[in-house]
Amino acid sequence: MSNWVLETKALTRKYKEQTAVDAINIHVSKGQIYGLLGRNGAGKTTTLRMIMGLVKPTTGEIEIFGQNIQENAKQIYPRVGSIIEIPGFYENLTANENLEILARLRGIHRRDAVPYALSRVGLDDEPGKLVAQYSLGMKQRLGIAAAIMHEPELLILDEPTNGLDPIGIQEMRNFLLDLCEEKQVTIIISSHILSEIEQLADIIGVIHEGKLLEEITIGELRKRNRRYLEFQVSNQNKAVLLLEEYFNIIDYEVHEKGNIRIYSHLGEEGQLNKVFVENDIEVSKIMMSEDRLEDYFVKLIGGRVSD
Amino acid sequence: MINLLYTEFLKLKRSQMLLISMLGAATAPFVCFIAYLNMKSKKTGVPVLFNEVFSETNLYVVLLTGVTLYGVIATYLFNREYTENTLKNLLTIPVSRISFFMSKLILLLIWILLLTVVAWGLTLIFGLIGQFEGLSLTVLIKAFKEYIVGGIFLFLLTAPTILVTLLFKNYVPSLVFTIAITMVNVLIGNSEYRVLYPWSAVLVIANKDFFPEYLPVYSYISIFTTSLLGFIVAIIHFKKEEIH
Repeated sequence: MSNWVLETKALTRKYKEQTAVDAINIHVSKGQIYGLLGRNGAGKTTTLRMIMGLVKPTTGEIEIFGQNIQENAKQIYPRVGSIIEIPGFYENLTANENLEILARLRGIHRRDAVPYALSRVGLDDEPGKLVAQYSLGMKQRLGIAAAIMHEPELLILDEPTNGLDPIGIQEMRNFLLDLCEEKQVTIIISSHILSEIEQLADIIGVIHEGKLLEEITIGELRKRNRRYLEFQVSNQNKAVLLLEEYFNIIDYEVHEKGNIRIYSHLGEEGQLNKVFVENDIEVSKIMMSEDRLEDYFVKLIGGRVSD
Repeated sequence: MINLLYTEFLKLKRSQMLLISMLGAATAPFVCFIAYLNMKSKKTGVPVLFNEVFSETNLYVVLLTGVTLYGVIATYLFNREYTENTLKNLLTIPVSRISFFMSKLILLLIWILLLTVVAWGLTLIFGLIGQFEGLSLTVLIKAFKEYIVGGIFLFLLTAPTILVTLLFKNYVPSLVFTIAITMVNVLIGNSEYRVLYPWSAVLVIANKDFFPEYLPVYSYISIFTTSLLGFIVAIIHFKKEEIH
């Protein structure tokens, strides 16, 4: 048995000639928030649909809680909650009634399960309101309530912030972080918005054109995207010698066109510049820079990440 | 299954479909009532018999309104899970697809029988209002049996309509399909071939109006084969279908 809460092995889905998901291997540990990041049409939803058993893989395997989903669906899915794309509800019913349907079918006997779930997402103040009168954001929150009502160990959320306003997005983020921290719920969340994933996820899987390009922890990602001080100088060799000699700086990189990136002594650009000038080095540019995470993903997928 | 059935009933709460279907079921009794009133006013002295009115109304229900009305209800029950995007919620619980399918069929049967009783009851009420003659317990029971037989067979024959709904996930093809069935009913309603065409064979069986050229079993075979094939293909399709 593997240690992963969720693992896919060479998961592939083809539609005739088109490969929507191409041999992806996802690894999600217990208590982690895993962000599946990719542009629209990258294969995120198809992947999550396969994980939830709504779409059959062409080849490959999916294991949840160490068990193959095709053979153990009845044991696995009661421990999973999900929102796949826009959550659907019966418009002629109230939120309470919609959740009652799901609670009955899930075999939840706790009477407070529905009110608890509604209160967690802030939908408990208008019990008589029909879902037909709900905004998209409210439906999204109701979807979350439906997904967490049975206290799942694994939560799969496909673009859950779609339709939410900025405050709603922030509330959702805090809610998911709390859920992960308090109840040790493992969460897989997909999005095409990098900033959203960055603020939530412990690990990011970048998916592009059906391929999982990289799985990277947020820590590693940030390490790769450190801030730096960039000088453009007339004599690079002399400049780096001065950096080592005068300031003991060894954390730097020499780039083309006389550029030197210094990853330490940030905020001391004045003193560094003074030493360069005093030693007859012409400084034509000083810049405090930061490789944004977005740039990293743009490089990785060769295009824009967010729309 | 009980939970599934309960939830199917709950889904109908505040739904206007139940009321609309009742109005639909009232059409045939009302139209027949008006027609007989008209006849009564023109042919004074010729009694309008309950037996006749029940039989005529059942003919309209089985051959005309029933096929379309029950087809629309079957389409509503299955199609709304796609249009309201709720199927994925239920199937990821997970709910057995066959149990889910069966619960909808049970609800459909109950619904059709309810409408059948409504049609029968309204025919009786209208007959009393119109002071039609020849009412007796025997007439009532005979008519009730014919209506119920018609309702049950029409329920069985919703299978192809359900299949069309599952294939197209839209009201329009199902509606076109049921209208086409009704048109054929009208076309062959007076010919002997009505014993072979499943939807008109329902009336033949309900009224025991068989033709000597064809064994009664042909009508039963026609209905059961259509129904069974429809249900089998629909269930196989639903079981294998991917939810997008």
